[in-house]
Amino acid sequence: MNKFSRILYPVSKCNKRFVSGPKRKYPIDPEHERSLPVFQYSVSNENYRRVFSWGNICTGALGKPFHKSEENIDKLKHLQFPKRLTFGEQHQVVTAACGFGFTVFAVQSDTNQKVYGTGINTDSQIGYHEIRKDHPLEVIFLPKPIDLPFKNPVKSKVTKLAAGRAHILVLTDEGLFTLGNNAYGQCGRKVIPNENYSKSNYINHIENIDDKKIVDVMCGQDHSLILTEDGSVYSCGWGADGQTGLEHFNNCSEFTKVNGDIQNEKIIKLSSRSDFVLALNDKGQVFGWGNTEYGQMTLPGGDQQVASPHYIKMLSNLGRIKCIATAGAFCLVLNDNGQVFSWGYGLLGTGPVAELSRKPIHIPDTLFGKNDYQSDSTVIDITCGLYHSAAITNHGDLFIWGRNKNGCLGLGRPEDQFFPLKVAIGGYVEQVICGIDHSIAICKPFI
Amino acid sequence: MPNPDSIMLWKALKGIICVYKPAEISVKNLRKTLITKLCNDLSELDVKLRYPMPESITNNSDSTSLARQATEISLTTNQSITKSLDLRYHPLVIGPRYRDEDLFVSWSNYLGWNTSGVLLFGLRRGTQVAKFIRENRSTRAYRINGVFGKATDNGFQTGKVVEKSTWKYIKHVHIQRILSSMQASHQKKMYEACGVDLNSQLAYDLAVKGPIRPVDSKIPIIYGLKCIDYEGPSFTIEVQCINENEIYLTNLIQEIGLKLHSTAHTRTIKCIRHSCFTLEHALLQKHWNLHNITENMDKCNRLLVENEEIVNQSSPVLRKGRLAPVP
Repeated sequence: MNKFSRILYPVSKCNKRFVSGPKRKYPIDPEHERSLPVFQYSVSNENYRRVFSWGNICTGALGKPFHKSEENIDKLKHLQFPKRLTFGEQHQVVTAACGFGFTVFAVQSDTNQKVYGTGINTDSQIGYHEIRKDHPLEVIFLPKPIDLPFKNPVKSKVTKLAAGRAHILVLTDEGLFTLGNNAYGQCGRKVIPNENYSKSNYINHIENIDDKKIVDVMCGQDHSLILTEDGSVYSCGWGADGQTGLEHFNNCSEFTKVNGDIQNEKIIKLSSRSDFVLALNDKGQVFGWGNTEYGQMTLPGGDQQVASPHYIKMLSNLGRIKCIATAGAFCLVLNDNGQVFSWGYGLLGTGPVAELSRKPIHIPDTLFGKNDYQSDSTVIDITCGLYHSAAITNHGDLFIWGRNKNGCLGLGRPEDQFFPLKVAIGGYVEQVICGIDHSIAICKPFI
Repeated sequence: MPNPDSIMLWKALKGIICVYKPAEISVKNLRKTLITKLCNDLSELDVKLRYPMPESITNNSDSTSLARQATEISLTTNQSITKSLDLRYHPLVIGPRYRDEDLFVSWSNYLGWNTSGVLLFGLRRGTQVAKFIRENRSTRAYRINGVFGKATDNGFQTGKVVEKSTWKYIKHVHIQRILSSMQASHQKKMYEACGVDLNSQLAYDLAVKGPIRPVDSKIPIIYGLKCIDYEGPSFTIEVQCINENEIYLTNLIQEIGLKLHSTAHTRTIKCIRHSCFTLEHALLQKHWNLHNITENMDKCNRLLVENEEIVNQSSPVLRKGRLAPVP
């Protein structure tokens, strides 16, 4: 046998064992596969949305219970990456709004409880929740329902939500409801001197304005803006920096029509986070008013407080503007080519060097994931918090940059981010809402 | 003396060749096959050119009986014939001119046992170039065919089925959505793995330029990920990646299956591009001969000259030229 081993060697290489791949200790039994059960995993409902929240956990605005435990209090203070909210699994969340330390969610329901609020409740902005008589809760850690007086609770729906420093606007089919602090008239009702807002249970209802249906609402810090179906803007609230756009610097406690350059324009979108307002008309032109001390808008007269809407001429060569967003001290616009431009003061998203710019700077498209491998990626929506910004692409990716106040960027690290970076989030992002130190994302599940 | 033609060929045989690796064979075996084939061809060429048979014995076509014949002739002491037959240089006496040990061959990308596709070999002096290419970590593109519905213990079709599940609700959109999300997450990872502080101006300058290479050769990064075909339970994805290996790619398929609320295993993995070498440069095993291999080497060397950064690069940014998608 030894004599023939050299001849036999190549034959043994052609053995079944060598041909069929790596060795197996036990051969595969074909019967085993047939005996296995076929699992059927569930597929999510069409209307189901995943809700993620991240940022400052202490205010309760994330809708997560926060316990003051001694050992890892520092870890618990900030949630530095998006976490899925149980509330989103229990309710069909439609939209949300982030205020200064609180969050409101609009859900699909047949009852009066269509809006849920969580977070700081010092001014009853998320409803009156008392644990015993005359002792309302000032902080709520889990989303609690806010009862709104609907005429027809089964049919009516919440369409838009907006939240300011300590007031919210809820736009429904049955008109506008306003809750919370009314010290400057931002709820659109008469200011009552020395009103105790923490024990206030008052919900203001405005059905329509000048017989026109309200289609959109927007809150600044202490002022409110509403948009009617014919494209005119109404505002009320604090006007010390001209943010109401009513050509005076006084507070206004009733929704009043904003004139100026937008008098004859059909406005389709409003944006305001603190004290500067941007408005976009149907032709893709942008108007602004309010406090412009950080170079958000440059006027020939050099006025920093602009009390009437002005057309922003420097944006005219950027093409047709599709989306607008304002933060505390800077602004973002998105044109129909999917290019994002930023100007003002702060982390503009173009590296650590750029801090102040009076002219719009183009944030390179490569930072929003557009490269040779994914050439069809474009930004479709932009949002701003007070110090940070976010953009959503057509692939459902969320890009975020700005000051990382209490982990509101959700990038898993405590440092600021100087250019857009993708947030690791388990869903196809549809809406993102940025607050002062927290953010909320509403996502579609992948399947 | 070997024939000048074989010397010329042997001298020319240094550089990079691009071959097609079939599945279910190891790169090691393939290398052995290549060496044997080349050496045999060279030696044979040598014999044919060096040994025009003397006229007196052309009748005896059987060359193996040459030795016996020679002894017979010498026994008859016919001087004129013994002179014309010089057995000192006969191939059966001195053995093959080129032996397997003489030809140095090394690979510049390792493809697993189940992977097929573009494979680069460096021959002789070209082993150094192969090493440079290997250490420069160029991007590769794979076409992976997976099947929904079954999970196997080794991730391949050959494995033992461990779980079966339904897949009919999976649509093309779902696959695309999950793949684009995965790709974007990898691009974020790319910035973190490039070894630059994210807060610096340098990080911004790099990020603006587009995809960058990770600092470590152990970190796999996926640059491009798209579904190019979905039919029934079988789907095909195209992956553009760096520092990957076979297990990583099979795990990727398994993960896609899990994310889509089902299970999946890999059917085939095919490397369709290695830096600038594509399937059209790859030489099939049946075409391996001296002529084709030298031609292929010439082609590859020209490609190397055109894309110098494959061998020697100065920046972590991926070059545009290498991103050319395979048609």
